[in-house]
Amino acid sequence: MSFIELKHIDKIYPGAEKKSVSDFNLEIEQGEFIAFVGPSGCGKSTTLRMIAGFEEITAGELYIDGKKMNDTLPRDRGIAMVFQNYALYPHMTVEKNISYGLKNMKVPAAEIKKKVDWAIDILGLSEYRYRKPKNLSGGQRQRVALGRAIVKDQKVFLMDEPLSNLDAKLRVSMRNEISKLHRTLGSTTIYVTHDQVEAMTMADRIVVMRDGVVQQVGKPMELYEHPTNKFVAGFIGSPQMNFYPVTVQGNLVRFETGETITLPDLILAKLNGREGQMTLGIRGEDIKLDEQSLSLYEKDKQTAVVENTEIMGNENNLYFTFGGQLTVARVSKYEVCQIGDKIEFAFTPSRVHFFDKDTEVCYV
Amino acid sequence: MHAKKQKPANIILAVVMFLLSLFFLFPVIWMLANSFKTDAAITADMNTVKAFIPPALNGSFLDNYITILTDTDFLRYMVNTLFYAAILIILGIVVNGLAGYALAKINFPFRERWVLIIMMLMIVPTETIITINFLFVAKMGLLNTIFGYILPMIVSPFNIFLFRQVFISLPDDVWEAAQLDFCSPIKYFFTMVLPMSKTVVATVSVFTFLGVWNDYLWPSLVFTSSDLLTAQIGLNSITSNDNTTMGQTLAVITMITIPVIIIYALFSKQIVEGVVSTGSKEG
Repeated sequence: MSFIELKHIDKIYPGAEKKSVSDFNLEIEQGEFIAFVGPSGCGKSTTLRMIAGFEEITAGELYIDGKKMNDTLPRDRGIAMVFQNYALYPHMTVEKNISYGLKNMKVPAAEIKKKVDWAIDILGLSEYRYRKPKNLSGGQRQRVALGRAIVKDQKVFLMDEPLSNLDAKLRVSMRNEISKLHRTLGSTTIYVTHDQVEAMTMADRIVVMRDGVVQQVGKPMELYEHPTNKFVAGFIGSPQMNFYPVTVQGNLVRFETGETITLPDLILAKLNGREGQMTLGIRGEDIKLDEQSLSLYEKDKQTAVVENTEIMGNENNLYFTFGGQLTVARVSKYEVCQIGDKIEFAFTPSRVHFFDKDTEVCYV
Repeated sequence: MHAKKQKPANIILAVVMFLLSLFFLFPVIWMLANSFKTDAAITADMNTVKAFIPPALNGSFLDNYITILTDTDFLRYMVNTLFYAAILIILGIVVNGLAGYALAKINFPFRERWVLIIMMLMIVPTETIITINFLFVAKMGLLNTIFGYILPMIVSPFNIFLFRQVFISLPDDVWEAAQLDFCSPIKYFFTMVLPMSKTVVATVSVFTFLGVWNDYLWPSLVFTSSDLLTAQIGLNSITSNDNTTMGQTLAVITMITIPVIIIYALFSKQIVEGVVSTGSKEG
């Protein structure tokens, strides 16, 4: 039996017609770092809150460490949680915020001091020990919230978009701190985020959700390389995967605007004889502008006019219209283009994905 | 530039405010100045500027006050009132606070209807229900007891509404975090909710104190024993006594006014915030 098991979990809010979470199934091993990702309203926070016990489970079963937890009080589930808005006790100092739970657990004073000192030390909060939350920055507040969670030695950490209120730079450093903390403590962590970059960089496995339904569960690179449907393909990866309505006939792919590319045997084998209208997907980095690639895919070479550029420093994003769709190509920082430049490019044929036009299921 | 434009307006405003405050303070200054005088001196100074100036400091300066505090039970009445106010502040915060919390944060059937009923009760003047309260206390055999006096005064629709308006804005995730920190609901109320809502607690305390301190009708109905009387009743009995001089009367009035002035001076911010929060937008 896995450490945490969610079996056919449903959530319907009173008065709602639609399920907020539908038939959620997941097994989480001890020490795993799981990220729930998806757009706003996809049910990821609701699922986390059902695990925490703050939302009632409408149907299904939740097991933590082999025990059914559906009707167990939040405090008896062996969990610690970090909230999006920190949820610190505003009238208490950093030290008291961290020690409050331990005091209520009747932990001996000497033990409390040891644990609080340890948490304050590893989170770098020493100089803020006697400050109240209002006198701390967002990052410091989130570290206090983490401190409050880690001192209690709970089996499971739940984190509900803990970095969403922080600025981009701080988010990156806190991301590292949380990952480091997870490695140090070895605790089972469930992390909710709408930011796929956070999920990709931190999680052992990612659960992608949409409209309350799990779309795919897998390791970050599995999701990136082998998305099960168009939604996952579009959600994971930045910039988003390019999609085109196409017609496949034999080994020829025809775009709506008439351009064609030829498919290699590898892709044809995966298509397994499927033909007709489909959606083609290709990631920005698989659109090539370099001489070597263009000579390699000479007959599938395409042209377009650059409409916008994003200079990222380490690479450039070029935006242009192709196949009737706005397309983004990720190219090296040395491939400098200006808006209005006419460019030649080619798709890496072995890197294209095909999705069913209607069901959006991924064939390749 | 903006500040420069405002300056003349500010000066005019300050002058107007000063004149207005003098106008309103005239009776208080007159009362304070004459509370140190003998009746003969009061009569002599009448219709002169001296009526607003206290007498010179001498051995008899505090005579009126000393007489009141030694020859009457007024000190006891004041202590009684402070005691009742303290009890009612504590009980009022607990009872009305818990009710306000329930109406703000706990989902139960017809919650919004209850809020509406409480808002409607706010417009019912105390005087209209005082007979019912009296009969209720009398039937329970609680007349002339502290409990009988306090019981009908604990629940205040206004204070419940005040608490509810403030508690409604408390973040729910703090309660969730507290639950995971093994905090019981009651402990959460006392160690989290009340400390996080210091302003409303102060406001309710001030309003309760002023209500008890200034109340005349209810204690005069409930209490018959002179041991339990409140300051306002004491004031009435002392001032209506033929042997009480004008100076002593003014000394009593001064003594009963001073706590109110101190409270207003110290907590004017809370009083204003309290009134503002009752009118604040819901949610």
